[in-house]
Amino acid sequence: MSRALGAWLLCAFTGVAQAQAQAQVQVQVSPEALEWLRRIYQATEKLSYTGTFVYQQGDRTETSRITRRAGPAGNVEKLEVLDGSPREVLRTRDEVRCYLPDSQTVKVDRRRDQRSFPALLPAQVTTLGENYVISMDETRRIAGYDCQAIVLSPRDELRYGYQLWADVQTGMLLKARAFKSNGETVEQFTFTQLEIGPVPRERVRPRVVARTWRVEQAAVSPANLAQAGWTMSADLPGFRKVIEVTRLLREAQPVGQVVFSDGLAAVSVFIEPLAGRAETPPMGLASMGAVNVYTRQVANHLVTVVGETPAASVQRIGDTVTYRAPQ
Amino acid sequence: MKAKISAMMDGELDAQELGEPLSAMASDREARESWRTYHLISDALRGDAILSTDCALRVSQRLSQEPALIAPLPGPVRAPERPRWFVPSALAASLAAVAFVGWMALAPQRGTVPAVAPVPVAKAPQAQPAAVPPKVAVTSATQDYLFAHQAYSPRNSLQGMAPYVRTVSDETVQKKK
Repeated sequence: MSRALGAWLLCAFTGVAQAQAQAQVQVQVSPEALEWLRRIYQATEKLSYTGTFVYQQGDRTETSRITRRAGPAGNVEKLEVLDGSPREVLRTRDEVRCYLPDSQTVKVDRRRDQRSFPALLPAQVTTLGENYVISMDETRRIAGYDCQAIVLSPRDELRYGYQLWADVQTGMLLKARAFKSNGETVEQFTFTQLEIGPVPRERVRPRVVARTWRVEQAAVSPANLAQAGWTMSADLPGFRKVIEVTRLLREAQPVGQVVFSDGLAAVSVFIEPLAGRAETPPMGLASMGAVNVYTRQVANHLVTVVGETPAASVQRIGDTVTYRAPQ
Repeated sequence: MKAKISAMMDGELDAQELGEPLSAMASDREARESWRTYHLISDALRGDAILSTDCALRVSQRLSQEPALIAPLPGPVRAPERPRWFVPSALAASLAAVAFVGWMALAPQRGTVPAVAPVPVAKAPQAQPAAVPPKVAVTSATQDYLFAHQAYSPRNSLQGMAPYVRTVSDETVQKKK
């Protein structure tokens, strides 16, 4: 009796699961959810706000404040870490400055033109559906705001999924969770307090006086690594090369950087000469929340792959890097 | 009909199309069964299988066995004068209810409730098994790479500056000597 019931249940289960899988293939991108992504994008571009958020990764938790001032003369954003030493990051249209009081250093990443900041443009939102199943989820109240959740589930294990909660009124993102394909959280950003509205100019100035600090300029310029003998490929479905530059890291020799992206997640490949380095860094995989770092040695160069993707993905991109002396 | 019910569950039907599966479920036992089975499967895929196994049936069965102690009497709204025993008995029932709620509140939670519900993700892995490189610690250099990388992440477009918190995280900064 119970065996018959079990067999029936199994049949019903597999049959219905197949039907559901077929239905899912047809409806993988909800137009409503895509519209929400565009709203979030516009809110991120246009709103002024100040708020406190918590970043969680593994058993680590850090509290920071974000202030954004939108204005006709350009937008300014400031991030201040509220725990430990008062580290700050300031971003304007063409520059990012990172203030590190412990080492009395200012790191400056300056671009010549806006185009070199690749953005997820509203027109590209639709192509995200190639790599993610995008759907509407529950509504929930976060930090006093009624939020709509949108889920981007990865179509394979080469990227993480994202669950985003946006304010129903403004589209402002209140919470973002990155998860593995098995649902496990890898990192999470949550606003615990947020005020949307005009922000005075003083609030987006750096708090620290850094006149005597060491300044590290990134000196970013366009590059062609293929000409120098380097080849690599994204080798991952959905990932395409976005940009190729050289830059300075720690005021050392120029470092090549190639960025691949699937429209949402990005992976950078850094290539720098090993010659002249005091010590060789450990080779292998390191991980920090949603960020995985893969280090290997190719032709007396150090190859470092940094990406907001699972370890397997940064490794696969890193393993395609080869060098052949140019003729 | 089953396909329609499945589509309705997935939220794929618009308002005009809903009438047919809904009336089928109102009249047809099999249609109702399908609705329950689909939810059961959906819950099982999500990992919270206990939620909908015949829940409605069991609740209604239990309800029919329960003595209705404080149920309102059917009949005209203007009720006849209550018998004398009603008041203390209602009071006792209320006290019992309060005691029950109190007991529930004080009872230890069974298991841990995840802060965020798991999202169904069902995709076959495409990554080929590769040689696993050794795990290494995050070094001071990681911060520089992260800072250089972060500006190119399209996630900034949805999250603004928040992801930059990683580039100044304690984990990387403290190791900076």
